Amino acid sequence: MRYTTVGRPEGQRRDLMILAALVALAWFLSSLEVERKLALTGAIRATVLAPFVSAHARFELRGELTARAARLEEERDRLARLALRATDLDAENVRLRALLGLPPRMTGDYVAAELVPGRPAVGDSHTFLLRVGAEQGLSAPVAVVNPAGLVGVVRSVASGKSFGEFWSHPDFRVSVRADSGPGAGIIRPVASSSGETLMLLEGVPFQMGLAPGTRLVTAGVGGVYPSGIPVGTVLQEAESQSGWSRSYRVEPAARPAEVGFVLVWRRPSMEELVPALPPPVGDTIRVSGES
Amino acid sequence: MTEQRRTAAVHATVVFVLLSSHFLFRPFLVASFVSPNLLVGGLLLATLRLRAGYAALLGFGLGFLEAAMALEGIGQTPLVLALVGYLGARSRDLLFADARYFTLVYLFAGTWIAEVGMLIFAVGELHPGYILVSSPLDAALTAVICGVLEKAVSAILS
Repeated sequence: MRYTTVGRPEGQRRDLMILAALVALAWFLSSLEVERKLALTGAIRATVLAPFVSAHARFELRGELTARAARLEEERDRLARLALRATDLDAENVRLRALLGLPPRMTGDYVAAELVPGRPAVGDSHTFLLRVGAEQGLSAPVAVVNPAGLVGVVRSVASGKSFGEFWSHPDFRVSVRADSGPGAGIIRPVASSSGETLMLLEGVPFQMGLAPGTRLVTAGVGGVYPSGIPVGTVLQEAESQSGWSRSYRVEPAARPAEVGFVLVWRRPSMEELVPALPPPVGDTIRVSGES
Repeated sequence: MTEQRRTAAVHATVVFVLLSSHFLFRPFLVASFVSPNLLVGGLLLATLRLRAGYAALLGFGLGFLEAAMALEGIGQTPLVLALVGYLGARSRDLLFADARYFTLVYLFAGTWIAEVGMLIFAVGELHPGYILVSSPLDAALTAVICGVLEKAVSAILS
């Protein structure tokens, strides 16, 4: 089909004004807070895009049902083995803490959730939606994990859903330590020369070199990520900064593309934590000579 | 039905089919290395019959829906598609819309430019492989699919 030109438009100024208004609106939208963006996205997905979103869910369910069942069975078996080992460790931990006079360990709880990854037309997805929200007692920011390790972080919680970012998101940072032995630093995502997204561990003290193959786990500093969640494995040293610190390339423990179901950490509340704290040390100090 | 009305009906049908197919089959389309960009194809075809301002509005609306579907780029994607709509409508007037292969060249160039724009504005990265290989192939496939669809709808409605 051939189209005939309609000639030069008369209202070019009006067209330009519309474009300028749209540019301003786009700038306003991009500067909105995550919560407002989530609300807008949710409203659009629940109304105009609802037929398409439900069709996608049906496509996915049909296509992945068999593969998902096999994957879940495999995960269940692995978790069963871990749980068996953890039972012994738990009992040992309780005994040791009792010997030291420490209160019970407060690790919080996990909520299982289905993860819906974002699907940008260009590039990889760095964001996701979870089908759990404020009703399950979640509060942002909080860690999202799967049996392999750290997946990302929940940035915003709404009713019935949460919005989060994978570890591959440019803004993602997590404090880590070596699983065994000294060495700690901060992890951020980095693109490799092949275009694949890896992790970069930075700020490792120069004298604490890490060997390739060292497992890195969350340090638990800050209360966003629980301590001891696998994050990745050291591949090789990336660079050292004039004898001050070292950085390492890290192979991630969990790949965003392979994630379907996750566990969201429900950190213990202050009310849960406070009774577990030991009495202040000052109360037990006796001044010499006092009876 | 007059020829003008028939042409308009064919045009509207093609744009509707392209845009609904994009949102319906989006998970399959974005998962492959080379895939037609039916959203941009539909938008570019629509801009052939719209004023530049309305084309920008349509682009902005489609970009907003696309960002909601992708869960990313809520400001950037509408901006890029609004610019594509506006520039598409303006270039139609500046170029020779009567030329035999204008629509195919227009769709190819428009899709390529739009995908590169999305990469730069929405993703904020420059992948030479995407810009020089994947994106031109996407654009060529988009132009071919739009052309074939137009012929098919035209034959059905004639």
